[in-house]
Amino acid sequence: MTKKTAFWIFLLGTLSSAVLFLAATWDTHRQVETLSNVDKLSEQVVAGKRTFEKYNCNDCHTILGFGGYYAPDLTKVVQRIGADGIRYRVKSPELAFANSWRKMPNLNVSDAEIEDLIAFFTWVGEINNNDWPPQDSKKRLSRGEQAMVATVGVSPGAAVFQTKGCMNCHALNGTGGTFGPALDTIGRELSAAEIRTYVRDPKSVDPKSMMPAQTGLSDRELEEVAKFLSNRK
Amino acid sequence: MEYRSQKIAYWYFVAALPLFVLQVFLGLYLGSSYAFTIPQEIVDVFSFATARSMHTNLLVLWMLLGFMGGAYYIVPEETQSEIYSPGLAYFQLVALLVTGVVALIGFFFGWTQGRPLLEIPRPLDLVVVVGALIFLFNIGMTMLKANRWTVIQGTLLGGLVFLALLYLFGIPFYRNEVIDWYYWWWVIHLWVEGAWELVTGAILAFILMKLTGVDRHVVEKWLYVEIGLFMFTGIAGTGHHYYWIGAPRYWLWIGGIFSALEPLPILLMVIDTMLHVKERKTQIVNPLVWTYAIGCAVFHMIGAGVWGFAHTLPQINYYTHGSQVTVSHGHLAFFGAYALLNLTTFYFAMPKLKGIEVFDDRRGKIGFWTMNVAMMIMGLTFGVAGVLQAYIERVLGMGYMTAQSYMRLWMLVTIVAGVFFLAGLLTTVTDLLTLRPAKQEA
Repeated sequence: MTKKTAFWIFLLGTLSSAVLFLAATWDTHRQVETLSNVDKLSEQVVAGKRTFEKYNCNDCHTILGFGGYYAPDLTKVVQRIGADGIRYRVKSPELAFANSWRKMPNLNVSDAEIEDLIAFFTWVGEINNNDWPPQDSKKRLSRGEQAMVATVGVSPGAAVFQTKGCMNCHALNGTGGTFGPALDTIGRELSAAEIRTYVRDPKSVDPKSMMPAQTGLSDRELEEVAKFLSNRK
Repeated sequence: MEYRSQKIAYWYFVAALPLFVLQVFLGLYLGSSYAFTIPQEIVDVFSFATARSMHTNLLVLWMLLGFMGGAYYIVPEETQSEIYSPGLAYFQLVALLVTGVVALIGFFFGWTQGRPLLEIPRPLDLVVVVGALIFLFNIGMTMLKANRWTVIQGTLLGGLVFLALLYLFGIPFYRNEVIDWYYWWWVIHLWVEGAWELVTGAILAFILMKLTGVDRHVVEKWLYVEIGLFMFTGIAGTGHHYYWIGAPRYWLWIGGIFSALEPLPILLMVIDTMLHVKERKTQIVNPLVWTYAIGCAVFHMIGAGVWGFAHTLPQINYYTHGSQVTVSHGHLAFFGAYALLNLTTFYFAMPKLKGIEVFDDRRGKIGFWTMNVAMMIMGLTFGVAGVLQAYIERVLGMGYMTAQSYMRLWMLVTIVAGVFFLAGLLTTVTDLLTLRPAKQEA
């Protein structure tokens, strides 16, 4: 191989890749309009993005999987903990994470800014991003449930409990979140039917409840998880 | 040292080293935040986010200083002329350092652009751009005036111009989060898998040529093929960051295919380094410089090549994206490819700049091996933590903090390895700043 051949390898390699990349960039701009619902990208969403950047949230939390890995991903945060959950955590992290071994700083974010943040997260949560992250995917987790039932031999209710995000807030046998109460003895207090009602719409039972309504569970899933929990005595 | 203005490089290197040390101290704080409970009172004042922005910006700052110093060392020898304006070079060093220090203090008080790795506030970005223009003007004028073009010079200048241009994409405010990340990667990915690889290729080719005495002709032929492959795989390979951001689905194909090829140019770099060393025409004068050059090529292959490949395919990346697996890859790749490249340059150039022909490398060897072993362990422990996270959080869906509790032990081991790394680094920095001639063995 001569130096001239080597030069052509360099030039063609660079140019071909750059042309493909720039063409795809042009097309991406076109398609992102639909994929990210630009029609819903309101001024409040943009204000929320500015707030998100102002407080450097992104150096602890990932969003769309990018940023700091120190705190949960925020892509689907609205679906996961609801608007009230976001308000409480941002407003009073010292209370929200009092029992957690990892803390979140209180950055004195104003109420108006928090509403902007929620608008921003709501918009981000609806971006069509190939069903990521997996833990929030309806599709994959039902497959995960089936696998757990089949291979690990847990009851369907236990599988729902582990895979539907209950453990983000609640613990069983010392494993899980500290945001909500541990549920080791919940069966002593509530029957399966009461658990079903509560999980579907917590505020209908206790108006002060911080728990978001679990509207994403199918009836079968709700029935199984309620049966499972009512047996924790 | 053949040209007086090469001395500029020395001060760039001296400025870079303490920043590297500070970066590692902040890294230890970040690690502690994972393994222990940092009380609310401290978190409110000095959050993980603030420390992380310092940790990453220090990395960029010291490495860019190293590259610039490297350029100021290489360009006089390559062009056979003095640097166009040493005064401008020193001015630019001071300007960059002051900007960096102001930025770091600013982060502490919440003055930030708030985008990971690009936290430097926009007004300071302008100072950075002016500094970069001065640098490019100085290097470019030196080359133009001398008019003795070589492939190494061209690659170096091309890489530096490309690097500066890409920085511009990180400055605007993007209304759409998807578009924001799209161009964020033009800075981050096209830097480390594009522009920085060009600079690295040029510097490594220069050092290998000087060390081995292999013909320029041969070295530059390899360099063309390498940078050609780097650009071919690297540019379209940016796609592996576009899988889950709301970009069209065809990025899964473009990103998957091109980034699967990304290890090739690195492998080529390892092979040609080995070949040059085997066919060397000169004696080994300072063995440590050789150790560093080969270590750099090999660790570049492990950290960037193997680790990058390991989670670049969409099917795997779906579960590992945004987990500690990324952290593992980031540490091994940056250390292997760019920290070692800079340290290779320092060990090659600093003795010459001090007029030492053969230096005493006993401390340097201890530093090299301590850092390399410690970083490899850190890569593995971060990796184990990342796999645990991916499995518990993403596959089983058991929640973020549940996964974190299982990862805690591994983060603790990482801190221990980090302390060893710091010890190795302090040894290395001390050694570089107080290089002594080796005692003549009779």
